[in-house]
Amino acid sequence: MSWVQNSGLLKTTVAMLGVVFFLFCAGDVPAQKKFSRTYPAGQSVRLKLVNRTGTVTIEGWSKAEVSIQASMEAPTANIQPQSLSGEIVVNLVRDNQGRGEVGIVNFLIRVPYYTMVDIETMVGNLTVSNISGGLVRAHISTEGDITLLNIGASNVAADNVTGDIFFDGELQEGGNYRFSSNKGNIGLRIPFNSSFKVVATAPSTRDISFYQCAGPDLSLLGDGRRMVGKCGSGSATLSVTNQRGSIKFYRR
Amino acid sequence: MNCEDCKGLITAFMDNDLDESRAASVRQHLARCGECALVCEDLASIVDVCSNEGDSLLPENNSHQMWCRINNILENEQKAVQQQIVPEPPRRGLWHLSFWQLASGLACIAIVSSLLTVVAIRNYYEPAATDSIAQTTSRTFVDRVLMKVGLAETPQQQIERKLRDRQAAIEYWNARVQTRRNQWDNTTRAAFDRNMREIDDSVNEYTTILQRDPEDDLSSEMLDSVLNDKMNLLRDFSDL
Repeated sequence: MSWVQNSGLLKTTVAMLGVVFFLFCAGDVPAQKKFSRTYPAGQSVRLKLVNRTGTVTIEGWSKAEVSIQASMEAPTANIQPQSLSGEIVVNLVRDNQGRGEVGIVNFLIRVPYYTMVDIETMVGNLTVSNISGGLVRAHISTEGDITLLNIGASNVAADNVTGDIFFDGELQEGGNYRFSSNKGNIGLRIPFNSSFKVVATAPSTRDISFYQCAGPDLSLLGDGRRMVGKCGSGSATLSVTNQRGSIKFYRR
Repeated sequence: MNCEDCKGLITAFMDNDLDESRAASVRQHLARCGECALVCEDLASIVDVCSNEGDSLLPENNSHQMWCRINNILENEQKAVQQQIVPEPPRRGLWHLSFWQLASGLACIAIVSSLLTVVAIRNYYEPAATDSIAQTTSRTFVDRVLMKVGLAETPQQQIERKLRDRQAAIEYWNARVQTRRNQWDNTTRAAFDRNMREIDDSVNEYTTILQRDPEDDLSSEMLDSVLNDKMNLLRDFSDL
């Protein structure tokens, strides 16, 4: 055979192998379904989301509406959001109770920035950004990172068993802030002039690094396992507990 | 004859039982003594009444029995008059207590006021919210005293009680989880087991520390916290 004939055969073979490879790979990727719904939001709105497995991203925006988008892997989960008197509830645990296997569901939810946000998931990362409502609660039953960015809420709670927690926001006067992890690192980035009482406990690592806040009055207790005190007049309350990880404060 | 002799003979005199000489003496005395004459008149009146009322009141030929009766009546009347005159003993009201009742009442008041004082002092010295954590490692003097006398739980007892309470709740939720975990997919089951191990490691760590030093309040608090985490983990997964 001539070189030209061999070259044609080679091209055909490569092309066929490419198709086979594509089909093989495509067979491994689980089929994804999309879910999308939008709700009008009033002056007071609350979002409650309970996910099973998957990432959850909540973003605050200036529109007066709540946009819920989800990508679902097979076996596809049931999603039946409920909107009642200003509260939007998405509960995948309830909606899929008794089902053995439910695929991963990744949420992207956009809400008015003044929304009260209450998020729970069994496994997966949670990210909440640009929220200044009365509440931000992020709870992971097992493992996953919690990232709270540009938060101005007066009540913030974040807890997981395994994973990092990062908070970047302002501490409101009289607010309550609680962060708790069993194994991970907790980082808090707050303004220099924040006024708060603080109890930070890292019993295993004793790794608590504080930033230079305004008017500090701090002391270490229990052989360095806990730091207590206040910055400024101490109007807000900040409680941080990390059983087996570090706690670090950063100046915003 | 004096008055006493006269009164002793006056009944016999009225019954004509005296001889003449003694009757004359009584008569002379009655003539002189107004008091005895009055007694004689009273007795005569009584005899008249008895005679008028009927024979049943006056047994025949038995003056001695009659006078005994009369004396009994008079004595009963005198007693009745005395009972009326003698002031009634004051009634035993609520305020009239025996010595032992009074003593036990005072003892109760002393105990109650002592306990109230202790509670008040404890509250007064209760650490403020701002520095509650700072003072958890140091017990107040009152606390120590109460522990010594058995009125308050020792740190070890507190830990044991907390552990028992938590353990009961954990067992309940764990039983629910065990009935459902076979339905979970492998990823969920693996995540649950992995994180449960992490929590159990922390529980074991604090339990060991507390066995060495039961008064380590911070470890006690952390143990309580991780047990709470464990319970929450079980509860979350019991709904799946």
